[in-house]
Amino acid sequence: MKESISQKTLHKMVAKWASPKPETYRFKIYKDTSDFFRVEYGSVVVLDERPFLVLHNAKEGRFGLDDEEKFWVKRAIDLIDGSKKIIKLVFYEKFVANIAGIAFECFRSPRKEARILNLVKDHKNFMHGYGVEDEKKNIVRVLDIINGKPLNDYFQTLDIDHKTYFHEQFPEILNKYIECIKAIKFLHEHGEKHGDIRRDHIFIDRKNGDFRWIDFDYNYQHRENIYSYDLFGLGNILIFLTGMGDVLTPDLKKQNHPALNSLTDGDVNLVFHNRLANLKKVYPYIPENLNRILLHFSESANWFYDNTSQLLEDLEEYMQTK
Amino acid sequence: MNKEYPFNKNVLIAVDESENARRAVLYVAQLLEGTEGFRISILHVINEPEEDFFPNPEERDKWIIQHKNKVDKMLEEYRQILINRNFDPDTVSVQSTRRYCPSMSKCILEEKDKTEYSTIVVGRQGLSRTEEFLFGSISSKIVNYARNCTVWVVE
Repeated sequence: MKESISQKTLHKMVAKWASPKPETYRFKIYKDTSDFFRVEYGSVVVLDERPFLVLHNAKEGRFGLDDEEKFWVKRAIDLIDGSKKIIKLVFYEKFVANIAGIAFECFRSPRKEARILNLVKDHKNFMHGYGVEDEKKNIVRVLDIINGKPLNDYFQTLDIDHKTYFHEQFPEILNKYIECIKAIKFLHEHGEKHGDIRRDHIFIDRKNGDFRWIDFDYNYQHRENIYSYDLFGLGNILIFLTGMGDVLTPDLKKQNHPALNSLTDGDVNLVFHNRLANLKKVYPYIPENLNRILLHFSESANWFYDNTSQLLEDLEEYMQTK
Repeated sequence: MNKEYPFNKNVLIAVDESENARRAVLYVAQLLEGTEGFRISILHVINEPEEDFFPNPEERDKWIIQHKNKVDKMLEEYRQILINRNFDPDTVSVQSTRRYCPSMSKCILEEKDKTEYSTIVVGRQGLSRTEEFLFGSISSKIVNYARNCTVWVVE
């Protein structure tokens, strides 16, 4: 492969933004990123003539599991301006997901993520970045790093009782979450779905406290309603935020919680049966009109939200009356 | 005085490859048994596959051709079910159309609106509540959204 950037130039660029390498060090340069395992620490990825120094693979932890290394996602430095980036290389993954015993086909789509990045480039509630093709037409995504933590991390360190949380912190959190729902509405209005709505796919931007969606490369073959799976995710997060975390029925049993006397099968999350959705039974000060929204995601629901507008309408009504 | 509502004897059966769709065809075949005056159209809407699902456009085109062949075969098989139940072949038609469908039920109803059908027939999918919640139910939505027609949902 003919190198468009000399080793000498790379040494100079790296020394400007990172620890310099020994003079004898030879950078491996990749313009074709198809084999993402080969793109390792200290190599340089060149995308559209722009060199990026690869630092290490990104990791993702979830629900107490150890961080899982994502070999196709690299932390890197843009050697032109020194900014830190996340580079997502192409990893075509098709798999059958299973939720509550229901199997459905999922896949990763770099094209989808690149398209959405372009769509949300000026939207404050999404991660930012751009898609660029490498030499072999792989759609690589170059992402700005959000300085902050996933939403669920915030709750792990919260040391207050629910009542105090609900009255003092929840209103602001809900306001920010409503912005996030509006952001998903924006996607839907443009014919896109997020595809993997989870509490750890919202980052709280340390700079301004904004909630920002990340990771939208997941896609799935929809059936009747293209957006219902996103709505399911939005509901789960809403219940999580209202409850200051998951309110788990096994925990209530362990505590011999007085609410157990009044709990019915219909009070739990429609999909995750160990999570309580009817939170008012545990936290009676939760207003009826908010709890009613949560019940749309419960086993007793007799009507499901079809779209984000319906959910937002109910939430806005609650915000006006509280 | 009883008011008479205008309706015709054109029946649209919306089908896919599922067993419940076959039941819907069999139901119409057995119920009407070729009764004169009825015209039956069997419709399948091919949900335009998203480009994201395929690594390249060639793979997508290949899938579309293969799927279209499969659909044509299925529709012809359903047509024969009706003909074997005494329907005049001239009164049974099939149609498949390919379109982008964020909501399949809305696509089916829009196809229905293009022609004069007073009755639309679908099979009930028999989804669990969780499935209906996660992915939506085509038959439920057709019942909810259909206007100016009668809906038969075949169990």
